[in-house]
Amino acid sequence: MLRPFEIHQPEDVRGASALLGQYGEDATFYAGGTELLLVMKEGLVRYRHLIDLKTIPGLNTISYDAEGWVRIGGTATHGELMHHEIVRRHVPILTNVERKVANVRVRNVGTIGGNLCFAEPHSDPATLFLVFDAEVELTSQHATRAVPMREFFVGPFETVRQPDEVLTRIRLRPWGDRTHGAYMKFGIHERPTLGVALAVTLGGAHTTIEDIRIAVGCVGPKPQRAEAAEAVLRGLPLADAERRLDEAATAAAEGLDAISDLHGSAEYKTEMVKVFTRRAFRDAVVRFQ
Amino acid sequence: MISQVPAAPRPTIELHLSVNGRPHDLTIEPRETLIEVLRNRLGLPGTKLSCDVQVCGTCTVLVDGLPVSSCTYLAYEARGRSVLTIEGLADGERLHPLQQAFVDHAALQCGYCTPGMILAAKALLDDIPHPTLDEIKHYMRGNICRCTGYKKILEAIAAVAEAPARER
Amino acid sequence: MEFSREISVAVPPEKVWAFLWDLDRMARCIPGCREAREIEPHKRYEALVSERVGPFKVQFPLDIDIVEAEAPSRLRAVATGRDNSVRSSVRVRLDLDIVGDAGRTSLSIHADVSVLGKLATLGHGVIKRKSDEIMTQFAESLRQALEDSRADAAAL
Repeated sequence: MLRPFEIHQPEDVRGASALLGQYGEDATFYAGGTELLLVMKEGLVRYRHLIDLKTIPGLNTISYDAEGWVRIGGTATHGELMHHEIVRRHVPILTNVERKVANVRVRNVGTIGGNLCFAEPHSDPATLFLVFDAEVELTSQHATRAVPMREFFVGPFETVRQPDEVLTRIRLRPWGDRTHGAYMKFGIHERPTLGVALAVTLGGAHTTIEDIRIAVGCVGPKPQRAEAAEAVLRGLPLADAERRLDEAATAAAEGLDAISDLHGSAEYKTEMVKVFTRRAFRDAVVRFQ
Repeated sequence: MISQVPAAPRPTIELHLSVNGRPHDLTIEPRETLIEVLRNRLGLPGTKLSCDVQVCGTCTVLVDGLPVSSCTYLAYEARGRSVLTIEGLADGERLHPLQQAFVDHAALQCGYCTPGMILAAKALLDDIPHPTLDEIKHYMRGNICRCTGYKKILEAIAAVAEAPARER
Repeated sequence: MEFSREISVAVPPEKVWAFLWDLDRMARCIPGCREAREIEPHKRYEALVSERVGPFKVQFPLDIDIVEAEAPSRLRAVATGRDNSVRSSVRVRLDLDIVGDAGRTSLSIHADVSVLGKLATLGHGVIKRKSDEIMTQFAESLRQALEDSRADAAAL
């Protein structure tokens, strides 16, 4: 049985933040609880006050704004994301990734904000967002700030979010017609062994790689962009990419600081990152036809 | 002599919810999970506890038609909602088609995962009445069975789906 | 989990050895060390170490036993502790080997760390990385403190 706590029902973000400030380390924000309740059950954290973000109206809305960004409210569940028309139309790869998060029950209850804030190193959406222009909006009772997704994750279970900041929204810019991508995840346990997200933008009538973004998740302490790998492929004529793909895949796998654990040995993970980077690239390129 | 300090009173909340069509008014502690309330307060032991970390699907119940892991879902979240447990499926002596199909297709052995399986399957068929085999597998992924090897479970669910399941 | 570090300081071996028994200064080199007490000189010590990874905080009261002490070259210690609030325990076997001459000493640090209990559910990778970080900080703090002690001596 969980240890006793109180549940607070703030009406707005400011109120939620103020409550957190008031109760300090005894309190935490609570949305889906799919990660929080687990660590509370394990006794790894103790909170006497849960501040329910789901009672704040409008925090789970999904919209497409006038500047062409998709906005996703922090308390939107994975299920809501995967079924939403705006996501399907503008960011279909996110629909597919959300479809495969955890299991159907977690998808019904778990929220995207909670997923990002918990910063469990094996998060699929976190890895995917890194290959988009994306940012996270953090709001406290005092201020609001936007943090680029690439700067949000600090390490395992650690982000730049301060305790009294609510992740109110994620903004991401959908890919244009000249960009396609792929997300590959692999694993046999509840949490994946690795995730590779890749986005390639073609220029020059689809003959050159104008831009490429590769992110690897689960293997390192946080999901990260494989910049060395990107440098190998960026600017290449598409016809040359296949020839340099092994080199890029190897670059993606190195510098990840893979650690042997239940998900696989370090060598295995490193090898699989190479395999899935190659597959993701080929998968993305095929979509141009 | 040991002097007793009275423990601080634990917070409680009022919970109103509907379970298997019946309304209930309860006073509970916020920390109680839905499975604890179902089994311990409402006397409904059909929902089983297994992994306790929302991975195995054994404790699946439907809240407003959506499957949740009742072991990791606060009863507080079911306030004002309707919950369906395995006890709510049969109509008197008449088994729900899914229950009957599980029996007919020998889709259970020890039966421990079965309530969760059947409820997850019900939610699937309510959402997608004519699922392909792949869709059934994807939806049911996350409900674990140690006994049957899953084949019979898939057959039972496919049999109930209005159109015969086929691989597209 | 095993970790190794090597530091080199412009301090003779005897001074390094003496430093290792200076409880206050050693305690300050250990990341997260809040308190340290001598129970039996050169044999038993106690320390309180706090650490955190994201929202997860641990506090281990450690019993430190000196298993082997061969002046000025070799020190072996075992530290064990338990944090009941997270039902986890830690055990560290620390080996220090000192080699050098009047001008320069090389100190090899080898640690064998085991973490058992609920904390392990965070994932082996997380614990290994954190332990690795702590080792790096320890080695660097030790190196810095030893170099500083040289400056102190020179100032006298």
